[in-house]
Amino acid sequence: MTLRVFVLLVLSIVALADTASAAVSEYSIQLKDHLFYPSTIKIPAGKKVKLVIQNLDDTPEEFDSFSLNREKVLFPKQTSFIYIGPLKPGVYDFFGEYNPNTARGKVVVLKQTKGATHVN
Amino acid sequence: MKIIYHAAAIFLLMGIVVSKSWADGIPVDKVYHPNILANERKLEWRLVSRQNDDGNLLAQRIAYGQAISDNLIIEGYIVGERDELGDFGLQAYELEARWMLSEQGELWADWGALLEIEKQHTKNTFELTTGLLFEKEYTHTSLTINALLVYEWGNSIKNEMETEVRLKYRYRYTPAFQPAIEIYTGEDFVGIGPAFMGLHRYQGQKQLNWEMAFIAGLNGDAKDHTLRFAIEYEF
Repeated sequence: MTLRVFVLLVLSIVALADTASAAVSEYSIQLKDHLFYPSTIKIPAGKKVKLVIQNLDDTPEEFDSFSLNREKVLFPKQTSFIYIGPLKPGVYDFFGEYNPNTARGKVVVLKQTKGATHVN
Repeated sequence: MKIIYHAAAIFLLMGIVVSKSWADGIPVDKVYHPNILANERKLEWRLVSRQNDDGNLLAQRIAYGQAISDNLIIEGYIVGERDELGDFGLQAYELEARWMLSEQGELWADWGALLEIEKQHTKNTFELTTGLLFEKEYTHTSLTINALLVYEWGNSIKNEMETEVRLKYRYRYTPAFQPAIEIYTGEDFVGIGPAFMGLHRYQGQKQLNWEMAFIAGLNGDAKDHTLRFAIEYEF
């Protein structure tokens, strides 16, 4: 009993203490005519970033990426946010579930070099 | 700050592994993720079969769920169970709400909350479950923990508070196949075993998710195995 309550307490405390980190770089993407612009996003390795996606179409889209482990509905004429990372260097594909043949893109995670501030 | 979080996570895992909790019935069930997809609608079927020294217990659930906002999903269940005497029948009704408390990836971990109320079919016996849902990604793996408080009351049972912890450590190998390890603790029960899950996408938001786990009880019984299977159609 004591240990079980302890587990729940620890989780609760960590949940309450878990606040967003200060500065997260933002990367803007537009969805227009079922195409992502830009379709390639370059981000630094080991950093959390925020994708700001504006759906300019009249229809909803669903951002999906198994490698990024993200799934999010992009409502029409609205802006959505997706947090990704920290990631290892590599290429991470994403697509729109409603238009998988056209709405495609990739996040390229680059190894950070000394002095580099923004890779996109 | 990160060190504190990591230390807390380690203590939490240690607590789960060494502690015992109380919860009646079959403690093996689904490990809930904290994330919710807007517009999500789903039909679900779950089966849990437990074989131990007392015989076989079988439970099946049919459910319909619908996201009613970006961060809240409501699901209704009909529960059927077969008891030790071999009688299978309607056992209970259940209503469940799941909240996504943080945007996925925004914080150090993803957080959610669960609230469930269950009523026995023929008795005035109720069960209220509430708790925290936790998920942390480590590259291609995800650690998911459900820490739950259960309160039971009614005419035919003694009112009591119980606890339950479920844990899943999943390797996101491919969408169709994701192996995992699951740990469950319930009343006089600690179980561990392999799990497998995957999904198949159809057009648009439609997809079929499946999960299967084989949990061995570590309670000292000569035989205590639980097989769980779940299939979910999202549309």
